[in-house]
Amino acid sequence: MDRQAQLEFLLDHYENPRNRGKLDHPDVHMSWGNPGCGDVITLYLKIDAEGRITAISFEGEGCTISQASASILTEELKGKTLSDAEAMDPSDLMELLGRDVVMTRPRCAMLALDTLKLALHEYRRICQKNRAEL
Amino acid sequence: MVQSYARPDVLVETAWVAEHLSDPTVRIVESDEDVLLYEQGHIPGAVKIDWFTDLQHPERRDFLSRSDFERLMSERGISNDTTVVFYGDKHNWYAAYSFWLFRYFGHDDKRLKIMNGGRKKWIDEQRPLTKDVPSYPKTTYHAQAPDLRLRAFRDEVLASLYRKDCVLIDVRLPQEYSGELIHMPEYPQEGAQRGGHIPGALNIPWSQAVHPQDSTFKSPQDLKELYESYGITPDKDIIVYCRIGERSAHTWFVLTYLLGYPAVKNYDGSWTEWGNLVNVPIKKGAEP
Repeated sequence: MDRQAQLEFLLDHYENPRNRGKLDHPDVHMSWGNPGCGDVITLYLKIDAEGRITAISFEGEGCTISQASASILTEELKGKTLSDAEAMDPSDLMELLGRDVVMTRPRCAMLALDTLKLALHEYRRICQKNRAEL
Repeated sequence: MVQSYARPDVLVETAWVAEHLSDPTVRIVESDEDVLLYEQGHIPGAVKIDWFTDLQHPERRDFLSRSDFERLMSERGISNDTTVVFYGDKHNWYAAYSFWLFRYFGHDDKRLKIMNGGRKKWIDEQRPLTKDVPSYPKTTYHAQAPDLRLRAFRDEVLASLYRKDCVLIDVRLPQEYSGELIHMPEYPQEGAQRGGHIPGALNIPWSQAVHPQDSTFKSPQDLKELYESYGITPDKDIIVYCRIGERSAHTWFVLTYLLGYPAVKNYDGSWTEWGNLVNVPIKKGAEP
């Protein structure tokens, strides 16, 4: 994709966000933000017994890149396993978003991924706690 | 009672801009914090100046060179006698930053203006936006040598700690000032090793100078009272800073042009430089 196409891809996700809204009864949810520029993301995930992400959504406020990135990330992760999600690193998401367009805004671009990593960590913690209580 | 800004001509209202959309002597420039806002729609005829990709040096931590500034002006169809009107998001934060940099390269301040209320007020008033990107004939632009009276470097800031006639203003959030917040370590290009503030600096967050509802600047009297209540008076040398010098450019604009303070410098190295310097003093907590 050239820069213009990449720009339009981001703007489309910002103006027509996918998977936006609160998920009822999520297995885990997590809120995170950028202190400097006021971007906020809350991610909701449902994960089945096999460790597959069956539903994912987000709510948030902030700049175009932070919100478009959340929309793109949720599309990418639906149906993936926890291991796939945990293996996703910033450079994968940068490629998806368009490195040229978002490289000057890494914190905004990575906010959704940072939130995801925290959510997965929290999910593992909850699972361990539940197992310990059994 | 102060009735007027020191330089009322540096502000124009949205209605003025609406009447000058086709004025060939005027170039409207959008500068945003959110770098993709212009692409979603901008004032008809406005060009974009991106604070990062257009105004920074590609390698050094510095601004673009004088010749690159001349090239940028030419590409945007701005000549030395063009009246440039800046506007942007977040209370004109980056509009003020661009204004400061245009002054740094010597654009005549009788031909520099900020649209009061910025992008938000224009949109709230349901004025037109377009996605059409205009193209203007290239100009020949002659920039001046950088005006170092507007810019402070670290050695001057360090020396100022021992001066009674110089005041430092930290315009960041109180949590950044106290050291509670520092930026995340995975982003070293904007990060600082230490949190806190420069000893003696007063914390006056930049956004106190605007009305939060419509992003317009507060009245001359309110601004005077705000800064004088901290002892910020025109007889002093003043250095403003934030994280990388963008929010502090807004305060520089307010003090220099709205209140008429004669000696205000922006320390653009700001906390990302000071918080990484070896062997300089740092203060934590809410007290200066």
